[in-house]
Amino acid sequence: MPIRVRLDRILLERRMSLTELADRVGVTIANLSILKTGKARAVRFSTLDALCRELGCQPGELLEFEPGPPDDPELDSLEE
Amino acid sequence: MFAFLAVMVRKANSYLGRGFGMIRALGPGSVSSFLKVILDVFYVVMWIAAAGLGLVILGLLLISFDPALVTGADVRFDIFGHPPGAPAALMASGGELYLVGLIVIVQRLRKVFASMTAGDPFHPDNVRRLRVVGLVLALLEIDRYAFAALDRYALHDPRAGTMMVSLTPWFAVLVVVVLAEVFREGARLRRDAELTI
Repeated sequence: MPIRVRLDRILLERRMSLTELADRVGVTIANLSILKTGKARAVRFSTLDALCRELGCQPGELLEFEPGPPDDPELDSLEE
Repeated sequence: MFAFLAVMVRKANSYLGRGFGMIRALGPGSVSSFLKVILDVFYVVMWIAAAGLGLVILGLLLISFDPALVTGADVRFDIFGHPPGAPAALMASGGELYLVGLIVIVQRLRKVFASMTAGDPFHPDNVRRLRVVGLVLALLEIDRYAFAALDRYALHDPRAGTMMVSLTPWFAVLVVVVLAEVFREGARLRRDAELTI
């Protein structure tokens, strides 16, 4: 997916661990990892709201668009 | 009159909906688990039938190679209208193919119903399973046509009936293919929901 989540960079800048963010936001570490590694298919506004609130950033700082072909791994796995 | 009929249909639909709503379709102890048990039994019975028919084919082939095996014996049975021998073995192998196809279908359906019993109907594997069921249903129908034609034109059996082309099996194939697509969409939505943070 050409949308990249820059969570690792912001966490580094804020010197905050993923565990701490998970505690503050109320999202499991597993789900935050999915978000961080770019495997997420969608982000709820409520999650984005909580992340921006706790990290003190704008949604635009968290998400970045990298031009490239759209990929759909789950559809590929179903097509076989 | 039409208004009355419309009201009656609406009421019947409402009652039916309520009735079906009370039936537990998924999960342990549901209709799915009941159907799974029936399919399990059916699966075992079909394996036994296939093994039995396999032995019959073997016997018929032996007789075709050495007809003296039944010379003098009081042979009263026939297979699809053919006395023991090569034509009967050929027709029985058509039946065996049909049984193998049914076993494949039942095996896939068992897995589909197992996933429904586990409360996970939109498992991605179910898409492939339903596609296989649709494909095998079509192949079974073609197998039926092929052996009916063989019986009538190659083995020249005057008792063989005309090759009936029924639309029902093809309708079933289309329904299963459409269902497979519905399950594919369900699996996609499930995965989307799983990866929505």
